[in-house]
Amino acid sequence: MVKKIQQDDNHMLLVKNGMLNKEFPSDYRQIRYFTLMIAQKAPPGIKEVNLLEQQISELIKNAVKHGNKSDPNKRIKVWYSFSSLNARIIIEDEGKGFKRIDDWNSFNSHRQKCLLDEDFEKLAEYVAYRTSESDDNDGGNALFAATEYWDEGVVFNRKGNTVAVGKRFPKKRPGIEIA
Amino acid sequence: MELKIRKNNEIYVIDVSGELDLYNSHKLKELVMKMVNKKIHKFVINLQNVEYIDSSGIGALIYIYSTAKKLDIEFLISNIHGSVKKVIELTKLMNYFPIVNKVGDAVKRLAG
Repeated sequence: MVKKIQQDDNHMLLVKNGMLNKEFPSDYRQIRYFTLMIAQKAPPGIKEVNLLEQQISELIKNAVKHGNKSDPNKRIKVWYSFSSLNARIIIEDEGKGFKRIDDWNSFNSHRQKCLLDEDFEKLAEYVAYRTSESDDNDGGNALFAATEYWDEGVVFNRKGNTVAVGKRFPKKRPGIEIA
Repeated sequence: MELKIRKNNEIYVIDVSGELDLYNSHKLKELVMKMVNKKIHKFVINLQNVEYIDSSGIGALIYIYSTAKKLDIEFLISNIHGSVKKVIELTKLMNYFPIVNKVGDAVKRLAG
């Protein structure tokens, strides 16, 4: 099954009840710092916390750069909750919203087909999703990884200015202590 | 992030260390483009000391690889490990990129 970006105002990942929240200015220089302020709340010992941090950073970057166009007067709001079993993040920006979700999903299904066929020559056309608004610093691959990493889903609201994601962590097996 | 260049006959090795992220990745692209302009046609990017990569870093590698293909430059990436490997695996590009295990393997391959 091809993993898709969903768009659904009523999706349960968009429910904010019980989540902590923070607000940040759209300061591109501080994206990694804002990310650390969120990711440090993740419980110690969860699997691959570096990867969690990196994936949160991509979402914050998208909101600051593509959503708010790094406009210092616009803010981003982040809701988050972490446990040893899952991580959830919701990010809202003040931009016009991601309007190309269908286009992105279609692009990604072509990309997935190339991967499945191991057609690396053709894959070269689908390694980066770029639009007229992309610049040299946009890798164009962040959302491909996001749909893989966030296994509970990547969901936008209808307007496209809020993204919600969820990730399950594997249950730890009870350890055996060796004296 | 730090970039150091070593030369082994006609093969250039770029040792990257630190974080290949949204603030730094353009520097790697710029360095490679400078080398390309100087007609360097065999090089390796060594990621042994890179502990963090994001979509901009992967974007830089994609850009460098497609430039290399266009210009018939021989290019390999080596020593991908840890969370860098995990991030590239998420994008499913491990089989797309020209990857070898160690710098030594890369140099041998390019010398052959």
